[in-house]
Amino acid sequence: MSVKNFESLNTNTDTTTTRTLLHEAIPLTGAIVSGTYGQEASEDNVKNFTHGMFQSVYDYPYLSSSANHIFDITMGYHSTSPFSSSASEQNAKKINMYNEFAQVLLGYTGSANDIEIFESDLDFGDNDNQMKSCYFINFSRLLTKDQIKKGTFNLVLSTGSWAQGITAPSFPSGPNITLTDVSASATAGTNTKGNGGEYGVLYNNDFPNGTGYGLVFYQAGIAIITSSVWDTVAQNPGAANFYRRHADGFVQSISGAFTGSAISASCDALRHRMCNISFNNTTEINSSIYFCRASHNKFNYSTNPSYVSGSKIRVKQIATDNPVTYITTIGLYNSSNELLAVAKLSEPLKKTPENELTLRVRLDY
Amino acid sequence: MSLKKFKTNDIILNTMKTHPECEFFVFDGVVYYNNSPHPHSGAFSANVLNVSPGFISLYEYNIDKSKDINPFIYPFITKDSSGGSFKTAVCSQKNGVIADNEWIVAVPGEPLYGTYPQTASITRELLGQPTGSATAGTRAKMYTTGTAEDGTPTSEPTTVSGVQIYSEPTYRHYWSLRNRLNNYEYMSPHFAITGSLVGPNATGSWWDPASPMRGGVEVSWIKDQQIINLISIPSIFYGSTIKPGTVSLKWYFTGSLAGELQDTKQNGELIQVSGSSQGFASHAVGSDGTGSVAGVVLYNEGFILLTGSWALNDETIPLVKDDTDSYSPSWRYFGAGTQDGVTQATTATAFNSASFSLSFKGTTETQVMTMFANAKRGEVNYSNNPTFLEYGQDVLNKTSSVVYEENSSRLIKNTVSSSYTDYSASFKRQVYVSRVAIYDESRNLIGLATLSNPVLKEEDQDFTFKIRLDM
Repeated sequence: MSVKNFESLNTNTDTTTTRTLLHEAIPLTGAIVSGTYGQEASEDNVKNFTHGMFQSVYDYPYLSSSANHIFDITMGYHSTSPFSSSASEQNAKKINMYNEFAQVLLGYTGSANDIEIFESDLDFGDNDNQMKSCYFINFSRLLTKDQIKKGTFNLVLSTGSWAQGITAPSFPSGPNITLTDVSASATAGTNTKGNGGEYGVLYNNDFPNGTGYGLVFYQAGIAIITSSVWDTVAQNPGAANFYRRHADGFVQSISGAFTGSAISASCDALRHRMCNISFNNTTEINSSIYFCRASHNKFNYSTNPSYVSGSKIRVKQIATDNPVTYITTIGLYNSSNELLAVAKLSEPLKKTPENELTLRVRLDY
Repeated sequence: MSLKKFKTNDIILNTMKTHPECEFFVFDGVVYYNNSPHPHSGAFSANVLNVSPGFISLYEYNIDKSKDINPFIYPFITKDSSGGSFKTAVCSQKNGVIADNEWIVAVPGEPLYGTYPQTASITRELLGQPTGSATAGTRAKMYTTGTAEDGTPTSEPTTVSGVQIYSEPTYRHYWSLRNRLNNYEYMSPHFAITGSLVGPNATGSWWDPASPMRGGVEVSWIKDQQIINLISIPSIFYGSTIKPGTVSLKWYFTGSLAGELQDTKQNGELIQVSGSSQGFASHAVGSDGTGSVAGVVLYNEGFILLTGSWALNDETIPLVKDDTDSYSPSWRYFGAGTQDGVTQATTATAFNSASFSLSFKGTTETQVMTMFANAKRGEVNYSNNPTFLEYGQDVLNKTSSVVYEENSSRLIKNTVSSSYTDYSASFKRQVYVSRVAIYDESRNLIGLATLSNPVLKEEDQDFTFKIRLDM
């Protein structure tokens, strides 16, 4: 009977690796970004900055230590957009913001290294379906983790008049529509050529013709919504009554919000049109699996002091009895016999010369 | 951008050990963690963290959530051949059959759900009954039923080779710790399940007047026969181990300190260091228990076992769940109300005379990599930033289908500050270092250190950037 308690692992036959995808369902109720924690333009969970280039949204008033940052919103347009004009409010910043997102997420094109333009399709090189004026929603890494799960992104938007608010009915009885990346999956329906990783198209789920109104970048955790979503969809377009400025009650069109309002005010307008956002995130958990094999003639002895009594094995009544052990722990050692990890069994396993065991040890990291 | 290779002495690996302090205060069945006030109410939830007082919430990102209006974030994985599952499987229902383990019910491809928030707090268990016969080691005997000759049923204790067989113990948590307690006997004899033999000069054991016997010999204690106060501390509060010498337990009676335990010897013994000094002549060590060992702490496992049964003052109050009898404050009742169901409702109003404080320091170890990125004189003196060159210069000198030649005579912009107006300082080669990037051997960017302010590096200066990476 062998008393050897160390067995070498064969790296070809006794070890393998595997990957588990852990997901979380992230529901973001629209109400918390549009009035739950204060009135428009002075909400306690929305932080504006003196630079005026974006605003940060939290899930709770941000002065509380409990609050988590959930996303940033900004907007911008390309220099060739109809909104681009020296008379437009924060014109340079809006152009810069668009260019920055386009550079980071898409990259450059042509011999002059021109910045790519977002398109509401999967081919950003064909110059059709261009989205030259957009909102950008940059989700926190806390929520997106490794990436947004493809095919799970849903954004319910209010496209009616500002007065109808986010509680209006959904299409077809009301003006609220759902933008979703329903055609994207782990194996199809995405573009992988951009600098910002894979992206899918956000289609208006309420129109079967499949018009794209935005993009979602899965690894970057960024959603892009074109301003034209308020021009062309739903029964009661909100293009003319896009935003009512809280300070003076002035009603703006979508065009006015992009040209006559600061970025922060335009972001306020979008937030008050977000009915709901939901997506699933993904975290990759890599694992090493070690198959620890105890053949019939091994591991039948224990070095536990309680295993023997008076130089006799406790579990043997007579000399011809088989030895019995109970396996409780597996130690993983390196080549220098240094203990690296210990695996505990939920309950001891009986081991005798009459049985063989293969214990599967899984190490997640 | 310059690429330089780290040398052997440029990278140092250290372990940073920290000792975060934890304090729990228990009053009237409510636990306060690190003096945090009760979480306030939100728009959707009466408690924005959605955890009970004294608990911490892992991740803390279900803030102000409610079941219906503002639903919770929850995790899920897909059942597949890798065998991944949540440690605590959610009870599920399928085809009208309620299963206690969804792994069994789900078919491959179906999701397995978990729940948030995941919470942790200290808990207390009183192992034994002060007014009954149960003690920490109580186990029920197993009986074998049979039939007598006259047909009446019989029931005899089950034995094997003359040894009584028992069914499962009443207090399983105690039994799971027995081996560890004996294992730590090398630190202090107070860990031992069975105390030492009572010597010829001993006058008896003041902390167990029953004078327990083992094998026909009187011993100072047998933990199985004692009532034990077990306090469990989840490792999220202390990390890898509780720091010896930092444990403090305070028993307050109507706001006044009745007694304090500390592990002053750093060997796990919890020794009373102060008391109310109201005179208890029967105590063998101190007049009020000061100097006596009231229990032990398992530093690595996060358990405190208290057996001290001496009175800390001459008052009595109800301290046991569903028991209106009053008991003298003693260490076996320390922490009453800590997730153990002891409240005024389950005892009596006078229970609110008791309050407790438990504090300790944990231990966390963080591996720290320190990298020294050297920028010696004559090195790191060029930038790829387009603004490093004078504006408006031709990039290309010549380009055709067979030649691509950049303009080699482009000028570097002079950024040297002049002390005089209308006078440009003489050109000096200098750069502003704003970032240090770390690459692997395949030149993949794996880390980026950004300076709070760009550092001016002139050509004849040596700089070393110290980069620290916590792992």
